[in-house]
Amino acid sequence: MSLRRYGAPLLLALMGAAVLRISLFSELYLRYVQAPLRPYLIVSGVVLVLLGVVMAGVRRFAPDAHEEDAHEADGHEEGGHHHHGPRVAWLLTLPALALLLFPPPALGSYSAGREAAQRAAQGVGTFPALALGDPVELTLAEFNSRAIYDSGRSLKGRTVRMTGFVTHGEDGTWYVTRLYVTCCAADATAGKVEARGDDAPPVDTWVTVTGTWHPKGRLGSDEAWPAVLDVTSVERVKQPADPYEQR
Amino acid sequence: MENQRTAGDHLRLAVRALFYAVFGGAALLAIVTVLSVLGPMLALDLYTPAVAAWWTVFTAIAVQGVPFLLLGTVVSAAIGAFVPEKVFKRLLPRNQALAVPVAGAAGVVLPGCECASVPVAGSLMSRGVAPAAALAFLLSAPAINPVVLVATSIAFPRQPEMVLGRLVASLGTAVVMGWLWARFGRDEWIRLPKRRAQAGPGGLRTFGAGLQHDFLHAGGFLVVGAAAAATFNIAVPRSVLDVFTGSAWLAVLLLAVLAVVLCVCSEADAFVAASLSGFSPTARLAFMVVGPMVDLKLIALQSGTFGRAFAVRFSAATWVVAVASSVLVGWWLL
Repeated sequence: MSLRRYGAPLLLALMGAAVLRISLFSELYLRYVQAPLRPYLIVSGVVLVLLGVVMAGVRRFAPDAHEEDAHEADGHEEGGHHHHGPRVAWLLTLPALALLLFPPPALGSYSAGREAAQRAAQGVGTFPALALGDPVELTLAEFNSRAIYDSGRSLKGRTVRMTGFVTHGEDGTWYVTRLYVTCCAADATAGKVEARGDDAPPVDTWVTVTGTWHPKGRLGSDEAWPAVLDVTSVERVKQPADPYEQR
Repeated sequence: MENQRTAGDHLRLAVRALFYAVFGGAALLAIVTVLSVLGPMLALDLYTPAVAAWWTVFTAIAVQGVPFLLLGTVVSAAIGAFVPEKVFKRLLPRNQALAVPVAGAAGVVLPGCECASVPVAGSLMSRGVAPAAALAFLLSAPAINPVVLVATSIAFPRQPEMVLGRLVASLGTAVVMGWLWARFGRDEWIRLPKRRAQAGPGGLRTFGAGLQHDFLHAGGFLVVGAAAAATFNIAVPRSVLDVFTGSAWLAVLLLAVLAVVLCVCSEADAFVAASLSGFSPTARLAFMVVGPMVDLKLIALQSGTFGRAFAVRFSAATWVVAVASSVLVGWWLL
């Protein structure tokens, strides 16, 4: 059972196990990618583990002609290779072990502070009626776009509730912030709503805020952004399973 | 005599085993002790928010890449193991100048991002497809497949010209690069992955071995690319970009460079482009055309598959052609 002999199948199984650990056995994958990718991650994890097991079996029970083949195949590639698999493949242990042992945390205030918060450019217009409910649950993105672009002013007079983490601005202002992710955490951009009427909780605390829209600036103008919420209650909550909002 | 020697051998073996066990054990114990005392202290000092964010972005790119890489390597291993060479000879026009646009347009059928296309192109070449045609496929597949085009139309609602522009500019770049390679490419630049004999009775096992080799190989380079992309992601704040929004030409060049260093997956880059609202449509088009064809992750993957000499020349030329093609199409359509 040597590493040289079984290294390649071991790597496959290790990577597969890491993918399964975050996608099948937990929801940690949401820290890195978006929910729709889950089935593909699970399938990939299963395929990798099975392939590792099968290839280890092939090595163990039928170590014949194939080794020769593989040797010849890699022979032309200068350096960096020996005949049990490419050496660069060992780098896969970095993400695999990180995911298995210490899954990196979701991005938070550090990344939000670095990405200048973006507002999705869109035209002023009317929006569909706001869902029923008092308070009505909204995403930060929806609150922001209704606050800045809705000529029907559908937020007026409604109590809304939103969840995000805390970031601090200048002069004691603070924001409820959320990162928007499309595909994976590498494309995260920040969106935020200024909270007024309560003291700022510490940075990176997850909160659910309830309050009413505080109109500001002309619709669609830069002054209208970010939207402001007069908060009536700030409740500390656990980080949600999906820490990002899908754009 | 014989017995004595074996007894002596056994003794020597036992002593050696004991030696290794004691010294190895002691060394291991020492390392574990030092690590368990210093490790947490060091880890806490080094684990700043920037480092944590680096790890998150790094693993995110790797996790995101795994399913697509696996899809690509499954397709490429299947081509290598089950599809005989004559199939491609029959499908593609013999004339290279014609084969290039056909292969480029065939990129529509591989619904993945750029991680998938490199191994597939490699196995096409090893199956006798002319490098120029396989390269046109390599460039067009991640940029013009239906998933990417739908994502683009969602990211730019009510702007169908953006989707059309992306399709035309990407296909144009792929075809031009294929022709350039057919005309000027030299065989010694590219390390052709000539591999595995005919598909035969050992098909399944060839498939397994090919899949294992390709996935591990490309996976290792995906990790290299992910590390580079995470480093740039953490080191270059996007707010720096606002400085360049003033000049149209600088903006195009800047976003074309940004596409290379950010390594956003081709299925997501439209949304990133849409969020770069301060830039001209042409600059954003350049971002979407360059990204799937040239980025750090791809350069790493290509050097792994085709050799560094190839990756550097090919990526540089592709970047220039992609920028030129985006500017032309942007001027025409946007």
